[in-house]
Amino acid sequence: MPPRKTSRPPPYAARNQSSSIPIPPALRNILRRATIRTIALGVLGFFTIVWLLRWMGGGSGSAVVIGSGAPVVIVTVIDPKANQGWVEKVKKNREDYAARHGYKTFFPENQDYPLRNSPLSWAKVPAVRHAMSLNPGSTWFWYLDHTALIMNPSIEITSQFLAPARLEKHMIVNEPVVPPDSVIKTFGNLKGDRIDVVVTQDKEGITQSSFVVRNGEWAKFFLDAWFDPIYRSYNFQKAEAHALEHIVQWHGTILAKLALVPQNLFNSYVTGPAHPKDGQYRNGDLVAVFPGCDRDKRSCEDEMRSFFTILEGKPSNSQD
Amino acid sequence: ARTPSPRPGGWSSPGLNTPYDTGGRTSPIRGYANGASQNITWASAQARSAEVKGYTAFNPRNQGFFGRHFRTISTHLPFSHTEKDKVSLGRHQNKVMQFLNALGRSLWRLRRSVGLVLLLVVGFILFYVTPLHRVYRRSSLLGGGGSKYVIILAANQGGGVMEWKGPREWAIERDSVKNKKKYVQKWGYDLEIVDMSTKKRYAHEWRESWEKVDTIRNAMRKYPKAEWFWWLDTNTFIMEPSYSLQSHIFKRLKYDTYRDINKYNPLNISHPLTDNYLDEETRSLDGDGKVDSINMIVPQDCGGFNLGSFFVRRSVWTDRLLDIWWDPVGYEQKHMEWEHKEQDAMEYMYSNQPWIRPHVAFINQRKINSFPPGACGEKGDDPQIHYQEKDRDFLVNMAGCEWGRDCWAEMYKYRQLSNRLNRNPWEKFKDGISDSIRNMKKSKEKDKK
Repeated sequence: MPPRKTSRPPPYAARNQSSSIPIPPALRNILRRATIRTIALGVLGFFTIVWLLRWMGGGSGSAVVIGSGAPVVIVTVIDPKANQGWVEKVKKNREDYAARHGYKTFFPENQDYPLRNSPLSWAKVPAVRHAMSLNPGSTWFWYLDHTALIMNPSIEITSQFLAPARLEKHMIVNEPVVPPDSVIKTFGNLKGDRIDVVVTQDKEGITQSSFVVRNGEWAKFFLDAWFDPIYRSYNFQKAEAHALEHIVQWHGTILAKLALVPQNLFNSYVTGPAHPKDGQYRNGDLVAVFPGCDRDKRSCEDEMRSFFTILEGKPSNSQD
Repeated sequence: ARTPSPRPGGWSSPGLNTPYDTGGRTSPIRGYANGASQNITWASAQARSAEVKGYTAFNPRNQGFFGRHFRTISTHLPFSHTEKDKVSLGRHQNKVMQFLNALGRSLWRLRRSVGLVLLLVVGFILFYVTPLHRVYRRSSLLGGGGSKYVIILAANQGGGVMEWKGPREWAIERDSVKNKKKYVQKWGYDLEIVDMSTKKRYAHEWRESWEKVDTIRNAMRKYPKAEWFWWLDTNTFIMEPSYSLQSHIFKRLKYDTYRDINKYNPLNISHPLTDNYLDEETRSLDGDGKVDSINMIVPQDCGGFNLGSFFVRRSVWTDRLLDIWWDPVGYEQKHMEWEHKEQDAMEYMYSNQPWIRPHVAFINQRKINSFPPGACGEKGDDPQIHYQEKDRDFLVNMAGCEWGRDCWAEMYKYRQLSNRLNRNPWEKFKDGISDSIRNMKKSKEKDKK
């Protein structure tokens, strides 16, 4: 039997409050139809996606991403007054090495930059800055003085000691920045991926015949600070070398990004004051340096001649 | 028809005559012969059905307060459900009461929306009366974000070591500190008062002014969550505490700051840089153009940068700037030349170290650093530089008042001016009345003469 209806029906029909959001009935009628509902949802979703993309895309900007270019750019400042034959041989030395590993080279002249009567050796600082502006996608910038020669082109520097793990392995910690007894010592807890400049020491101080800088905002700060005219006008005895030692000791934001590695990794001396522990050139080292051969009436061409013959004697793809 | 009852009062009908009707009397009252039905009230009918449903257990004879006075209370409430009683009580209510009754009824009907509106109004009032609004302003998650701003106020300049610090100096400091404290409390910022007394902790005397740099670094360490740090000298006064930093400056950074110093260049610094070895961003007129890359906001006065009131933002760029700002080689060569010490050093670094330029933005001086007459101009009428009352400038920096001007008088004057400009409406009303009375008296005297 069907249930009995009551004889006292409720005075008003029960309200059908199905949805919790109070939507005006006109809108609700429209939303009832499935097609219009899907269209509305589609349009809303489209605009959401557009807005999200704009929000994310606006953040990244249109700058060149570091790492999209050649991994290393080798910078060597050329002296236009030197023996051009020798200069060509030095350039070829870099270019062969770069071609072998997919690197790039950059050869500015030391008169290209406004040094304001300072010694020409200062040109290396704006040269690296220039290389950074020309190659915004590269990661590392290796400054190699024209008194140096790459002897063992099979060694690839990014894997050899620029990778974070290897940097941490090779880093010399707690070492006086200027031997033998500078009060400021290298930091001991630096991580390899936070290092932005790799330098070596010889017997007397930090060398600048061969150093590597990582592309980035810190490198711009470092190079611009190093190139500040007050250091040039101070007339340090050893020009940019002493200026570098000065800023490394006085400014912690520079020391915190600096790694000191053994000299024979990429800066072995053939002549001159090599670091007593590991500065002297041995067969198999990556680089042979003849510090000061461009000054004091010495001749780089003569000193390097025997090394050039060794290089020419080697076939181009040897594995030693 | 019912047979008449032998007793007066009609047949006894216990269900119809309830205790409610008789006002507590238990004996039946005189009623009409047949017609108890004409006197049936809703209350009595309800009581009858209560009896039928079995609620009698809850209806004891002595009802208690509400039981005895229920009827009296219910008929005197402003709204009542007993429409039928309206007729008998209509004579007791005049038009006003009728209107109020109708109003009450309609409000009760719309009680949901009325309740909502009332809730909102009460919530609004409570928000501003209690400290709740300050908590809101301070919180960075869902609120004004006040905890992201720190004001660093220099106090105790010199500390009485180099010169006498008398009651005027103490009073100036007290006023300045009180003004900043009130501002900071209102908007939820942090205030760091630094003691700039000369302590000779550096090897050379003139190094003392560079302490600013060290104190900013310490403040950045002390408030790790804060983003912007505002350095203020002692001789400053916030004239308009109703402006928050967010609304006055930071929400409008794109419009109010400029990185192209050619817009206003008192130092004649050549901009943009043109050296070929620099990258595009460093050589551009305004960095990368994005507001996010602004890391320092500096006003310029008639002679160059003014570091009496400036902002720095927490960033790696700022860490490096604060580190490189003071260097012994630079100091040794230039300290005799750099009369304003770290300010001149900043100007020098801006001109000579290209990495700084893209991240320094300049702001119109009158936005955060208006000067009083006497600084940068005797008469105080340069519209770019001097405080303009009609524009209600934000802050006055009484720069250089120690040399030739009266610092205390200026501080007093600006404090009074600020109080006057920011009276609340009641005070304005009172002042308006007293002013008009005074004017009337004056005109009467004039008439007499």
